[in-house]
Amino acid sequence: MESRAEVGDAYLVARAREGYLDAYELLVQRHSAMAYRVALRLCGDHHDAQDLAQEALIAAWEQLDRFRAEASFRTWLYQIVTRRALNKLTRGRVTESLDILEDPADPGAEAAAQAERNFAVDAITDALTALPFPQRAAVVLHHFEGLSYAEVAEVTHSSVPAVRSHLFRARRTLGTKLQEWR
Amino acid sequence: MSDPPPDRQQARVLLTSVTLPCGAEVDLLLEQVADGRAANLDTHQSTCVHCQAAIAEFTAIWEPVTELASTPVPGPPGLTAAVMSHIRVLVKDVWYTLQTTDLGAIRVAARIVATLARDAARTVPGVRVALGRSSHGRLATLTERATFGHRHPHAAVGVLGRTAVVDLALAVSYGDPVHEVARDVQRHVIASLRDQLGLKTITVNVTVDDILSDEQ
Repeated sequence: MESRAEVGDAYLVARAREGYLDAYELLVQRHSAMAYRVALRLCGDHHDAQDLAQEALIAAWEQLDRFRAEASFRTWLYQIVTRRALNKLTRGRVTESLDILEDPADPGAEAAAQAERNFAVDAITDALTALPFPQRAAVVLHHFEGLSYAEVAEVTHSSVPAVRSHLFRARRTLGTKLQEWR
Repeated sequence: MSDPPPDRQQARVLLTSVTLPCGAEVDLLLEQVADGRAANLDTHQSTCVHCQAAIAEFTAIWEPVTELASTPVPGPPGLTAAVMSHIRVLVKDVWYTLQTTDLGAIRVAARIVATLARDAARTVPGVRVALGRSSHGRLATLTERATFGHRHPHAAVGVLGRTAVVDLALAVSYGDPVHEVARDVQRHVIASLRDQLGLKTITVNVTVDDILSDEQ
């Protein structure tokens, strides 16, 4: 019956804030695949991605009172998933700056996280997860999720020029790796 | 004179250059290709062999990324259920209906009452979305105050008694008389709860707060 549910996200967010758990369940049904997909692209591991998506969707519910009514639930969820992926990959290190694209993640933690990864994942996923986090986030959100530069900047609390510059560097790195494998 | 050895050397040079011999910026060409605009050649590009060759090269290089990006990633089964069961634990679900029989007490969590009510409402023609609630909000708070004296002595359990108060938020189909749909929902929900839970006194508050057209 849920497929007949065509009310907007804003409506469901408003009802969820009034205590209708059903409303939040519909939001989760709509967006859980996205949360998992983004988490998977960002951390490259199915189990981590599943945990991350679940935590993000629970965190979103817990923080519903902080959600600005004029914002889009989708953008907001992208924000939570991306930030949590960054925190996971940097082992809980709290990022002080709001601009999560500002600084590459701690290289040591990145290397360790990468060493644990499953080697069976395909070449592009490898190349993608080898990118510094800010570049990876920009590629995943723009090229995989189809967000505009402005939307990526909003999700990452960054600026359009910063997003663009991360993408310039990421494309060259990915391009170089991909042409080696051809 | 032979053509230069294909691709690799050339591609590497391309990817490490700032500009092409014609002055075009490599970053912008990569952006154009990666954003799926390889075919939209501007005036310069439509006559420039350097640009056209680079665009063709980048398109071939970037193709696996485009392919991966367009591959659907199915969400893991059970993710929604896992999230919701976690959240239901976080919600202090202290409301129960209480009936005493000669064999003992029967309590049904208010959450169950709300779910049954919602499911019943969803079967009523004209109802597009039905959301149920019985443990939160103004009415629940009022009921909590009203029934404070009947709390179970050993636990912080609110007792609704044999009276269930259910809030339903509905989105209905455009064109159906709203008050009739709402009335049908009340009747149907009350009958279902009476049959399924044996509740005698049931209040069903209906809020219709969205209307959906059929094309949506």
